[in-house]
Amino acid sequence: MTRINDVGGMTGFGAIDVSDDAPGFHHEWEARVFAINRLLLQKGVYNLDEFRDAIERMDPLDYLEASYYERWLHGIETLLRAKGLIGAL
Amino acid sequence: MRFDVGDRVRTQNRNSLGHTRLPAYLRGRDGEIVRRLGAFPLPDVRVSGSADAPKEELYTVRFAAAAVWGETAQEPDVCADLFAPYLERAE
Amino acid sequence: MSVHASDHEASAAASNRVKRLVAELERRGILEERVLDGIVEDFLLHASPANGKRVVARAWLDAAFKKRLLDDAGAAVAELGIDMSHWAPVELRAVANTPRQHNVIVCTLCSCYPIALLGPSPAWYKSEAYRSRVVRDARGVLAEFGLQLPPETKIIVWDSTAEARYIVVPQRPPGTERLSEDHLAELVTRNGLIGTAAV
Repeated sequence: MTRINDVGGMTGFGAIDVSDDAPGFHHEWEARVFAINRLLLQKGVYNLDEFRDAIERMDPLDYLEASYYERWLHGIETLLRAKGLIGAL
Repeated sequence: MRFDVGDRVRTQNRNSLGHTRLPAYLRGRDGEIVRRLGAFPLPDVRVSGSADAPKEELYTVRFAAAAVWGETAQEPDVCADLFAPYLERAE
Repeated sequence: MSVHASDHEASAAASNRVKRLVAELERRGILEERVLDGIVEDFLLHASPANGKRVVARAWLDAAFKKRLLDDAGAAVAELGIDMSHWAPVELRAVANTPRQHNVIVCTLCSCYPIALLGPSPAWYKSEAYRSRVVRDARGVLAEFGLQLPPETKIIVWDSTAEARYIVVPQRPPGTERLSEDHLAELVTRNGLIGTAAV
């Protein structure tokens, strides 16, 4: 079965925006998401494959609409909820 | 199963329902082992959260464009890092 | 992008979501908010394309180093004092461009990237457009970046599907024989390290 993240060879995504965006994070919340993920991985709350899997299981429409760090946020929240570490937010 | 550099391999037509690191565009394709990368936990198992997912040998496999995309494709060649369980020996 | 909300609205919504998440994680004793800024600063301090540029400049000047780099990139990079494994081990591989072969890096499955050597990845690298197309039409993708390669140059795309992270060692530009290592490093671009530029 093929998940929505598995896009190698898929067509229709159009031209690449080659403009060079210098900053790693465009918003403070993105940097926070990055840091939260690092921390949780480091603490062993979940591993990298669990994290990727949580993103891969997104509804395809949500995945394509989400920005990169929105996907990360989804992955983090999904795992924390599944592991009973947070309730519904 | 272990491979050596130079071995001809075929990726499995592996249609996992879960997390895997064999891309769909490389299923059932013929390639050649160009590098051994060492052994690492298999992602398909590690996704379950287990701390002792078995380590499997990881290989860089090179695929000619025609093998991946069909006879009319001449480029690019694609290299991907694939775990031994995704591969079988090609005749 | 979302058709239902502007970028600004989506970002504001995400910002609120993150605030709630941080508050909840703190409340449950899972993390402390004050630690988060330090993690970001630490990341930005250690992860920079300046590192990758240094590696390339050294490879251009020192053939034996280049050989070690292509053979065992992790060990070679460590010789320069660059900390690749700052908080997690990384398997690094370097691939060299030649007149006959040009290398391009991608991660079709997610967008894995050697951040220690290149810094944070550019938006285009993470895009579906790049990830889907470079493995099929690398030459066309490179042309969108303004890179035209001779027809006889073979293009190889490296899909980072597992632990290994890749950097490209571009060809040294002609006429640079007298340049210092620092000046050589300045010639290297981040796109050159990914393979979407000649240098």
